[in-house]
Amino acid sequence: MANLAYIVVIAAGAYTYGILTLGPDTGNGGFQQYVLGYRLPFFVAVIAAAVAGAVVGVLIGVTGLKRIRQDYQAMVMLVISIMAATVIGAAPSFLGGEPGLSLIPNPFANLSPATGDWAYVAMVAFACVVGYLVMRRFTSGPMGRALRAMRDDEHAAAAMGFSIVKMRLLTQAVGGAFGGVSGALLVAFIGGWSPGAWAYVETLALLTAVIVGGMGNDFGVSLGTFVIAVLLLQGVQFLPQIRSHTGLTEAIGWMTLGILTIAFLWLRPQGVFRERRPRYGQPAVGNAGGGEVAEGHG
Amino acid sequence: MPGAGRARPRLIYKEALVHLLVQSIGFGVAAGAVLALGAVGFTLQFGISNVLNISYGSLMSVGAFLGLFMLGLGLNIWLVMVIGGLAVGACSVVLNRGLITPLVRKGMAPFGLVIVTVSAGIVLEYVIVAVAGPATQTYGNRSGATLNFLGWTLTTAQVVIFAITVVLMLGLHLLLTRTQLGRAMRATSANRTLARSCGIATSRISDIAWFMSGTFCGMAGIALAITIESFDFTLGSIFLIPMIAAAVLGGVGQPYGAMIGGMVVGIVSSVSSAYWDPAYQSVVAFGIIIVMLLVRPRGLFGSATATRKLLA
Repeated sequence: MANLAYIVVIAAGAYTYGILTLGPDTGNGGFQQYVLGYRLPFFVAVIAAAVAGAVVGVLIGVTGLKRIRQDYQAMVMLVISIMAATVIGAAPSFLGGEPGLSLIPNPFANLSPATGDWAYVAMVAFACVVGYLVMRRFTSGPMGRALRAMRDDEHAAAAMGFSIVKMRLLTQAVGGAFGGVSGALLVAFIGGWSPGAWAYVETLALLTAVIVGGMGNDFGVSLGTFVIAVLLLQGVQFLPQIRSHTGLTEAIGWMTLGILTIAFLWLRPQGVFRERRPRYGQPAVGNAGGGEVAEGHG
Repeated sequence: MPGAGRARPRLIYKEALVHLLVQSIGFGVAAGAVLALGAVGFTLQFGISNVLNISYGSLMSVGAFLGLFMLGLGLNIWLVMVIGGLAVGACSVVLNRGLITPLVRKGMAPFGLVIVTVSAGIVLEYVIVAVAGPATQTYGNRSGATLNFLGWTLTTAQVVIFAITVVLMLGLHLLLTRTQLGRAMRATSANRTLARSCGIATSRISDIAWFMSGTFCGMAGIALAITIESFDFTLGSIFLIPMIAAAVLGGVGQPYGAMIGGMVVGIVSSVSSAYWDPAYQSVVAFGIIIVMLLVRPRGLFGSATATRKLLA
């Protein structure tokens, strides 16, 4: 089931990256707090963000271990994500409070703006490819089969000797690490981060991406994210601005997002791309994913 | 005497602390009345239709903005509260009939329904933005004269809202215990299938529950807008957390639990914000939710039925 507090993990990565790279207080107007004052290199900070994301992910996962109804659990996750933003926003001395952190350095700051932007795009694309490959190994290997079994029937998976608690927390940790890295990459590019950037509506955007793309299909989710993030949330900016209605274009974007989610759940819950079920124990014929079928022989 | 000089200010300090406590309990009761109103609506609908309606908060904002519109027409504030409540009740029935019931019939999992109600809530919120704009709004000063009793200083508006809540809660109690409809509602809440096989029109009961829930929701939204100085379209979704805390504390699906839960959450968060940073006020509600769900998910007053319903 989807983790509705996932945005908290992304935020954790973003804040970690921020406070580890901001450097000591240079008296820059004195408008923001510098918590640690480290100026760590980019990759160290990204790894730290991944670790922070994993830790926060596991902490959130612990609240999900109690055997309560799915929808009840979903509600708890939503509450966690709203509360995390509220608490961080209320404490200006810790992570910048409501105004948040700013002036977070860009790793390509010494290049010219245009080159730097493209270098960043290339790096993020590279990170996506690496992430996709790591995720593929994770979901197609023995671990992936165990996870699929757990998702489809926990009791059966437990009877096969898998530790459900350990696997759930491991999934949270891996998911959290991915979220942390994505937060770090995001914040290093936009240079600032505040609770407003991770309000709970942002979770809906992620969720819509997953639902539209197709749950359980990595490719579908990637495509869904692209469509949602790029076309919908950025695209509405190109709608003609209506002077008398401030915020109307943004409202249209969010309304479309909400309606899209409901429409997909209603009419095509499996998403645009359905999950390809790996066929175990069958000869490798056709164009099924190589890795998965090769496992079948083993 | 050197000793007396030191003792005197300490006594004043202690008196001030006690006064602060009494005063913050008074505020807590006033806030708890609004909370209880909202939480009872939330829990009533969940108890009977078994769907967690996250769009409840947004419906509350809809109520507040409908109230703003009607105040602009020059209607009396308490009349606005009643009409706004009924209008949100109607919206709530439309939401149930048009969206929730068809999806439940399709066999959608509870988790999917949560996502649907979250999405519906966001759509509703941004409908408000599209119509009324994202700006902060206010009802103006509606608090009326200040009243003093029992050491509490409250506004007339707070007292009237408290009275309205008490009357509505009493009315709900009589409805649930003394009428045929109330018995049908309790039966549907306890066991829907059994209730249906006893000849109760459960889908109609469900409609009535959504209507009552929406009415409470709209009235709570307008009451909230009266008591706080300013609000925007996120009014309800922010208020949803203490409401959920109240409902969870009392046991989700338990109207009486939600009444008491609302009062407890109201008083506890008011007292804590008097002695602690008010910015952390909602942390108390958050703590209550997490602790209750981890320790006693069925709530303080939850029955065995509630436990069966909540544990997976």
